[in-house]
Amino acid sequence: MDLISPWILTAIIFLPLVGAVALLLFANNAAPKRLRMAALMWSVATFLLTLWAFGLQSGGAADAHGFALTNGAGFRWLGGGDGIAGAIDIRYHVGVDGVSMWLLLLTAFLTPLAIWASFTSVTNRVKEYYALMLLLETGMLGVFCSLDLLLFYVFFEFTLVPLFFLIGIWGGPERARAANKFFIFTVAGSVLTFAGVLYIAYFQYAHGDTGTFTLSIPVLTDFASQGGFPLDVQKWLFIALAAGFAIKVPLFPVHTWLPLAHTEAPTAGSVILAGVLLKLGTYGFCRLSLPILPEGTMAWAPFMSVLAICGVIYGALAAWVQDDVKKLVAYSSVSHMGFCMLGLFSLKMAGVTGGVLYMLNHGLSTAALFLVVGMIYERYHTRDINKIGGLAKQMPWMAFFLIVFTLSSIGLPGLNGFLGEFLVLLGTATSSQASDGFTAGPLGFGYAVAAATGIVLGAVYMLWMCRRVLFGPLTEPPHTPDTSAGLTQDLTGREIGILAPIALMCVLIGVYPKPLIESLQGGIAGNILAARMVDAGDGYAGADDADADIVVVDAVPAVPIEPVEDAVNETVITLDAASAAISEGGPGVSGGGHGS
Amino acid sequence: MDLSACIGALLPEFILLVGACVVLLAGATPPARADQGPSLTGPLALITVLVALGVTILSATPAESSLVPGLLISPLTGYVRLGGLFIGLLLVLCNLHVPVARERAEYFSMILFSLLGLLLTASANDLLVLFFAIELVSVPTYVLISLSREDRRASESAIKYFFLGAFAAGMMLYGFSFLYGSLGGHTTMIDSPHGPALSTATAALGAGSALATIGLLLALAGVFFKMAAVPFHVYAPDVYEGAASPITGLLGFLPKFAGFVAAAKLLAVFHWDAERLQVVYWVIWIAAALTMTIGNAVALLQSNVKRILAYSSIAHSGYMMIGLLVGPAIAGEGGPMRDGIAAMLFYMVVYGAMNLGAFAVLSAIARRSEPVEDLRDLEGLSVRQPMLSLALAICVFSLMGFPPTAGLLGKVYIFSSAFSVGAGHPFATPLIVLAVIGVLNSAVGAAYYLRIIATCYNKTPSETEDTTPIGGTALRWGLAACTIAVLILFLWPGMLTRNARPAAVAVSATQVETLAQK
Repeated sequence: MDLISPWILTAIIFLPLVGAVALLLFANNAAPKRLRMAALMWSVATFLLTLWAFGLQSGGAADAHGFALTNGAGFRWLGGGDGIAGAIDIRYHVGVDGVSMWLLLLTAFLTPLAIWASFTSVTNRVKEYYALMLLLETGMLGVFCSLDLLLFYVFFEFTLVPLFFLIGIWGGPERARAANKFFIFTVAGSVLTFAGVLYIAYFQYAHGDTGTFTLSIPVLTDFASQGGFPLDVQKWLFIALAAGFAIKVPLFPVHTWLPLAHTEAPTAGSVILAGVLLKLGTYGFCRLSLPILPEGTMAWAPFMSVLAICGVIYGALAAWVQDDVKKLVAYSSVSHMGFCMLGLFSLKMAGVTGGVLYMLNHGLSTAALFLVVGMIYERYHTRDINKIGGLAKQMPWMAFFLIVFTLSSIGLPGLNGFLGEFLVLLGTATSSQASDGFTAGPLGFGYAVAAATGIVLGAVYMLWMCRRVLFGPLTEPPHTPDTSAGLTQDLTGREIGILAPIALMCVLIGVYPKPLIESLQGGIAGNILAARMVDAGDGYAGADDADADIVVVDAVPAVPIEPVEDAVNETVITLDAASAAISEGGPGVSGGGHGS
Repeated sequence: MDLSACIGALLPEFILLVGACVVLLAGATPPARADQGPSLTGPLALITVLVALGVTILSATPAESSLVPGLLISPLTGYVRLGGLFIGLLLVLCNLHVPVARERAEYFSMILFSLLGLLLTASANDLLVLFFAIELVSVPTYVLISLSREDRRASESAIKYFFLGAFAAGMMLYGFSFLYGSLGGHTTMIDSPHGPALSTATAALGAGSALATIGLLLALAGVFFKMAAVPFHVYAPDVYEGAASPITGLLGFLPKFAGFVAAAKLLAVFHWDAERLQVVYWVIWIAAALTMTIGNAVALLQSNVKRILAYSSIAHSGYMMIGLLVGPAIAGEGGPMRDGIAAMLFYMVVYGAMNLGAFAVLSAIARRSEPVEDLRDLEGLSVRQPMLSLALAICVFSLMGFPPTAGLLGKVYIFSSAFSVGAGHPFATPLIVLAVIGVLNSAVGAAYYLRIIATCYNKTPSETEDTTPIGGTALRWGLAACTIAVLILFLWPGMLTRNARPAAVAVSATQVETLAQK
């Protein structure tokens, strides 16, 4: 145990990298079958290792900062000037908490499925393709494990490289443009994140008491919770960090790269992009903006939330008018990620839990939708909604899965999507009140109402798409379905094997979310919202009288986490009542009032 | 002063000098049969650099010593020897295939002389020695450009470079004469036992002597030319395009490195006094901002890969000028991250490797039996030459400042040095603004670097014309070494930063008292 715990995350991060190198060492004329089996086995091994880490994390003890499975204090990476003031102390430091563990699981879960889904669709340059998929996995896993800001940035940026090639080489007809746009957009934002990161390190060194130039996330979080960053500095830094993260999410006005990238990417690229990569942006907000810049986040939250709501509605409207099924799902991503952002910026336990849950749910259901769309495309070579129709008769299995994931995506109670949506709206609506042991957040009822319209629209366009594709008279392009690549008319066993685990997870999370929520809330209370907790010791909210904008309300429930859980459990039981309630946004408030 | 101690202190320089002469002489005795058999001169040059590098690595970092009049051996010398000779080794490797048989001796001895000039620049402590050292870097490059390929464009760019270089040298000398005249008639730069120096005079100087400022500005103008900094950058694209690619890699490193070291030395004479040197600091600030912005903006418009890399070279000078402007971290003024000179020195060596790597790949592929130049020639390179394409991608990602390459760490050091100057520094706010300009510029840079990579990977090769690999095994080794260096330095930057820190202290001009009185 002691031998394994400090190393298991490192092993998880770099196992796919080793796999990628091993794949590249295969002979040039190696059979594609062997290559893809090797890649699949390798990613499955990574997943199993991640499951093991999950077991260790949920059973094991966390360090003082709430991170488990850390490699001690990490290894020195950039150093210099030991023993004098301002020594550089930037480390390879990894660890997970309740939030990052689940995202780690999501990544390790989706990658093998994405690889498996590429078996028939990728026929050229097979070796490089799977090597890049594994490289991409290393980058994503690294982001979720990093406890050092520079390390985080390194992995965050590195994910661009493999995906750039995946889109650019194996994408659709406009792949070159899509890959470039995706890359340039993301880089343009992330250089500002880079500047922000460096300034954070300097500021901590100059004003903190460590006396070192460190980028350790726990150290910076501590520094921030002691009110280390003045408000004006936080406001600037928030914008700098948000520039990179918002483009990655993508937030409303800077989302334009996403539909193009999704449409042109190969299926597996879309799956990973929607499933995990967009979450790097929201995870950045969770891990960095919220805990390190709590007041800056508070100050900008209304602005960010308005953008998020614009994204929710705009994304939904844009999705509605798409003829391309893949583009429709892509725009639905814009809409859904807006929801996720809204939850995070409610700065309340319910909302942030909802936001993180939304990340996981969106990762499952949208990734699955892209998979289904990819499977249709492989058979019909079109994604035009006008050229295909009535496929339910031809492909009953596909129809089954498409409907399951559509329902999950639009938030049908009993499936995973509902819970995230509900918690986000709950958190948003009750954000302005100080409750659940947290100080008042920046949002309010109006935000929830505005966002709730997105849910209605979401149901409209998704169901409309289902109706057109699945029901009505059978419409097929000529000479299709194309089963030349070893496919059958309906889904093959392999394809069912890909979709079934995701569907299972959707149902599981929808029916019994308690362990997931508890684990998430542990991480959120410990590392993300710590600065907002009323009883956070010498923390920032109560002690600092300088922060006039933080209202501390005296009605504080004794146990901070309990009420949200109650609300969750209750909603799971009273499914239909709640679903009707949500579109009005009303009862959410009374649900949140539970605690007080 | 005895000769053996002198040679001991300057052993790598002497090895280079002897090696350069031997290589030159080896060419003077024609081989028994003309153009037959492998020439010895290339391997000789390689061995010379290797031995010099070995001696540098094995001997301890030199302490401050002004044993030799006119020279100040310091940790800076040690760093430049280490970095310069390491990149020099790669340069020789990448150039082994370039010259035609009868010009090999001249070619390699010129590379060695140019390297020698760089090493001497690092220890020069006298205006005249500094001038000679810098010209020793530049003069061989004029020859190298014209020898590098049998093309009219090479001669044209050699002549262009020569005339403009002579003009720049004249400006530098003119500036030196002002410094000499206005600061009490000394040529020694930093105090040494051999006599009074300029730095003593500047310490006593009042709130800015106009003549000294003019002198410094003129001298810096000459140095800017070596760095290819705006407004003395106009030659770079033409000259880089005209020369053969491996020599272009050399042009982007040796004169630039010498220029930055010389600039640091000149500013050290004035004690890095941002308050008194406000005019000079603003001039450098504006030049840096323009250098980055013009370099990156114009590179976007190019379609010739060598011109793209030439403009990128200008842009990188701009980034390094941020480090120059931040200056060395003096004790009590902030931690090692604040050290702009250490950052600049680290960046320079990393830049040398990644830039040379990119140019080396260009010289390793031919289309229509000519080394590739146009962006279109690279289409589909990843299919035809996967390894070369990978090397190019890694080097270009490094130029872009992307993980997992040392280019990212170079940017980390440079930009955080500017953020870390601290509010007490009179130039703190402009420096932070400059760093933000730099960061935004690196996003612009990403756009054109990406074009190179996208052309290699995302374009399907046209079937009609084929690219063929050219150049020898040595070139392959050289560019592999550049690529691996870029990756290794990302994982273990300490190999360089460990030495860069003391080197920066050596130009902080505070060691007047601690100077060894030998």
